[in-house]
Amino acid sequence: MKNEHEMRVGFAGDNRKIKVDVPEGDLTPWDLDTKLESVGGRSDRIDAFAKVTGRAKYAYDINLPGMLHGIILRSPHPRGSVKSVDLSKTLDMPGVKAAVVMKQGERNRIRYVGDPVAAIAADTLDQARDALSAIVAEYEIEAHNVELLAAEGAPNLNENNISDPWPVPRPAARRRPADPDMELEVSEADVSAEGTWSMEVQTHSSLESHGNVVWYKKETDSAEIWASTQATFGARQALASALDIPQDRVTVRAEFVGGGFGSKFTPGEEGMACALLSKQANAPVKLMLDRFEEHTCTGNRPSAVIQIRAGAKKDGTVVAWDTRSFGGPGCNGRGGSTSHHTNYFDNAKHRRIHVDLATDTDASRAMRAPGRPQGVFAMEGMMDILAAKCGLDPLAFRLLNDNSELRKAEWQLGAEKFGWAEHYNASPGSGEDPRYLRGAGMASAFWGGMGGGKHRVTCRIHRDGSVESRNGAQDIGTGMKTLMAMLTAEELGISPEQIRVSMGNTNDPPGPASGGSTTTPSLSPAVRHAAGLAKQELGAKVAERLQVDANKIIWQNGHIGLQGGEMIPFQEACKLIGAEPIEATGIRQANYDGYQDNVCGCQFAAVRVDRETGLVLVEKMLGVQDCGLVINQKLAESQVIGAMIEGISYVLHEQRIMDPKQGRMLNGDFANYKIAGTLDMPEMEAIMYSVANGKNNVGAAGLGEPPSTAAPAAVANAVSNALGLPMRSMPITPDKVLAALHSKKK
Amino acid sequence: MHSFELFLPDNIKDASLRGGPNAVFKAAGTDLLDRLKERIENPETLINLLEFKKDLAGINPQAGGFDIGSLTSIHDIASSASLAGPEWRALKQAAETTATPQIRNRGTLGGNLLQKTRCWYLRSEAFKCLHGGRGPSCLAVDGENRYHSVMGTLDCMRVHPSNLAPALYVLGAELSTQSGEESNRFPIAELYPELPLASEAEHTLSDNEILTHIHIPAAVTGTSTAYVESREKLSFDWATTAAAVLLVMKGKAILSGRICLGAVAPNPIPCDQAAEMLAGQDASMELFGKVAAAAYAKAVPLAQNEYKIELGKAVLRDALAQASGLR
Repeated sequence: MKNEHEMRVGFAGDNRKIKVDVPEGDLTPWDLDTKLESVGGRSDRIDAFAKVTGRAKYAYDINLPGMLHGIILRSPHPRGSVKSVDLSKTLDMPGVKAAVVMKQGERNRIRYVGDPVAAIAADTLDQARDALSAIVAEYEIEAHNVELLAAEGAPNLNENNISDPWPVPRPAARRRPADPDMELEVSEADVSAEGTWSMEVQTHSSLESHGNVVWYKKETDSAEIWASTQATFGARQALASALDIPQDRVTVRAEFVGGGFGSKFTPGEEGMACALLSKQANAPVKLMLDRFEEHTCTGNRPSAVIQIRAGAKKDGTVVAWDTRSFGGPGCNGRGGSTSHHTNYFDNAKHRRIHVDLATDTDASRAMRAPGRPQGVFAMEGMMDILAAKCGLDPLAFRLLNDNSELRKAEWQLGAEKFGWAEHYNASPGSGEDPRYLRGAGMASAFWGGMGGGKHRVTCRIHRDGSVESRNGAQDIGTGMKTLMAMLTAEELGISPEQIRVSMGNTNDPPGPASGGSTTTPSLSPAVRHAAGLAKQELGAKVAERLQVDANKIIWQNGHIGLQGGEMIPFQEACKLIGAEPIEATGIRQANYDGYQDNVCGCQFAAVRVDRETGLVLVEKMLGVQDCGLVINQKLAESQVIGAMIEGISYVLHEQRIMDPKQGRMLNGDFANYKIAGTLDMPEMEAIMYSVANGKNNVGAAGLGEPPSTAAPAAVANAVSNALGLPMRSMPITPDKVLAALHSKKK
Repeated sequence: MHSFELFLPDNIKDASLRGGPNAVFKAAGTDLLDRLKERIENPETLINLLEFKKDLAGINPQAGGFDIGSLTSIHDIASSASLAGPEWRALKQAAETTATPQIRNRGTLGGNLLQKTRCWYLRSEAFKCLHGGRGPSCLAVDGENRYHSVMGTLDCMRVHPSNLAPALYVLGAELSTQSGEESNRFPIAELYPELPLASEAEHTLSDNEILTHIHIPAAVTGTSTAYVESREKLSFDWATTAAAVLLVMKGKAILSGRICLGAVAPNPIPCDQAAEMLAGQDASMELFGKVAAAAYAKAVPLAQNEYKIELGKAVLRDALAQASGLR
């Protein structure tokens, strides 16, 4: 059963009424006309104090009586196979309680330096590490390659442009309609350009490393697990399977997670090892990876080379856009795909062909908008090149070609707030300052993330007035717990501080894995629904007390009662509840058709380039971003600013540096893997652009990934504007800037 | 880390007497702890010099110059009011740019001067590094060498990571050490091996010799110094090149100068010939350009670090410009 409901959706530049089908039992959806109290405010994170004082306990912080420490023997060779593993000596080493082989039988391939071979658990971590050397592993070593451009099928790179062999679409992709003849399309345009962009591997660099504490208990054949995970329920499934026990006997806890960025969807081989060691030893085992393992064995954002050829009419209209790219996803040979949105050339002839090339390195994993920052870096770079060829300002060129009305409004707002006209260097590559060149750049963001799934949330109201909102999924740092408090408070008409939120325990109702920018939009409607159902029950009790019909009851200013009649404070009303609390379960219903299915944004950066040392300093950055209903302004801005910080770090500093001969990472630590720090940060501003998307009873959209798609490109374009030369290789380190400045002198 | 004996000495003499081939002196330990955990340093005994920090920390005026205790924190140097004048500026600038606030608060001047190289081949036991005693040849020669040396190398391409050493060089610092009852005083140049072979440590102190004081002589009237380094980011990075300079000025005229380069060779590199070109000349960017070219005249890049030569020259020009007041 569905009820047709009219709601006002859209944004300031385009708001209108639409009809949606609201499922039976769901709450009336919030829209542009709804007046909200808590939601839309700037509440602090409810766990901020616990986090900054160290009271928040992460998996890494868990220590149990009798707990053993696990460690993994990893292959020192990048490619080959394991012939044999002998654990007999290691089991005699002091403190060693358990040991398992992880490469045997047909599953003996070595695919990268760090591939797990065996694991042991001992009383102390140092004992475990000592015992590693007593494992006798024999390898059959094969020739390896860790470099993308030396991989089989790699293109040639001439004068910084890739050439034959060109990537051909995989057979599966051939079912698409025939690609246009891009050769012809580009060559026939009034204005055309081509270029190749390249980028290195970025590692996730989560502050808390991957790992688990697994406590298998033989007496009950059950397990308690503390996991650093982006998917508590997925972890339970995988680890129950590894332990070979039913899922109902496994509890996974992840009350706090120290970052994941896409790399913590499964417990991984370290989780499997930890489970097996715990079962063998019948004792709790902690197995958290060290920083080198974290950089080399838990995935990464893959490297890529991307060639774009594009053409436009004299007036600046893009007519052809051809992207051919190669990705370097490591040993699994897929998942390195770079991508871009098509808002600039949906009406042009366009095509995208991508091929992944295998190398003997750690397999890539999803990382905050997989493939997108890479693809947008190249796409927005080409946009500036074409704009210049058409004699148009980058902003004017984008306003001409962007087919998103929403983003056009954002471009204009952002350009004004940022001061585009003032920061853009109209004579690229020159300036009065004898020391520094200055320039500005911009880039667009685009993502989906409307959420879904059949998640459930429990809301409890107790006799003493305390309120709980509970879900078993994890808050990986986005602030979901805080949003749950705000949504529940909004529905009940009380303050968010009155709500106690629990997340990250699989004994609570199921929730999503945190990926694809979906946790907030997936859970929020269920949070509100649960609170709404609990509210109805409490309302019924008040109605009974006042001896009126339940539908006469209103909620106002923290009071419940009759319009113009008796109003009972929430706290007093709760006394009508008995020893058993009110408990309601909210359900995440399917999304309505709604207003739109994606989010947009744009970012602007201003940089200063030292002509003598090649050092790039970002001086100012501004992001405009929509994400449906903004539940908490402060947390939303924090996501956008965080994405800009990460983007600055990626585009200017981060890269995995491999020793090609040994196939081993050289900078697998935080001393040499360079991440931008506080002194490298510009003045930053985030402007949230509110949109009512009409997708569900709340209307929030995911925000983790969208702003990260634009940041590297905006900074790179600013550097190119300052230098008067396109900078097409990330990271833009001083040596590359100096080389570019040199090439100009010639 | 492997287990070791921790020795807490009462005084310098006791500490020194426990020194030896299987013992390591620990000052702040900010880097040593990492090397212990990585097991690239496996001493039997760790001798904690911080036990007598009060005796060896402090910046004391002495005959127009300073005696600085080797356990003085980097932060204390960076924030010292005594070192506020232009004649000491290089030392303050070098201290200010070091590492992070946490490390500057904890790390010591002595530790900074006696640092192990940051070469990534040395710092992973997985690599058969010659300097680490694990292999037959330097892996950086035809390996990943973007941050390695461009001059002064023999069989090891490491760079000296100390940013305070070049500043102390141009200030004409001398060092005092103690071995048992015996004390010794020598110019800073002697702290670094004449031939920086892979088999040599980063410094020339013996197993039981403890650096106790750094002496900075009085400055001649008209002295002005500066330290500048290049790096890839501003927060917590190692220098890719560095230069410390001292100029004695009279008006616009340079009476004499000293130059020392950092982060480009296995040792800090004093450039006396280039510095002589300054004497008797008026300060100008043109002159500094020539001097910088001369300082790097003998530089020979490896496959990936040619950029360091241009960068090093820029940094040296900047240091000269700052010291002379042109910038």
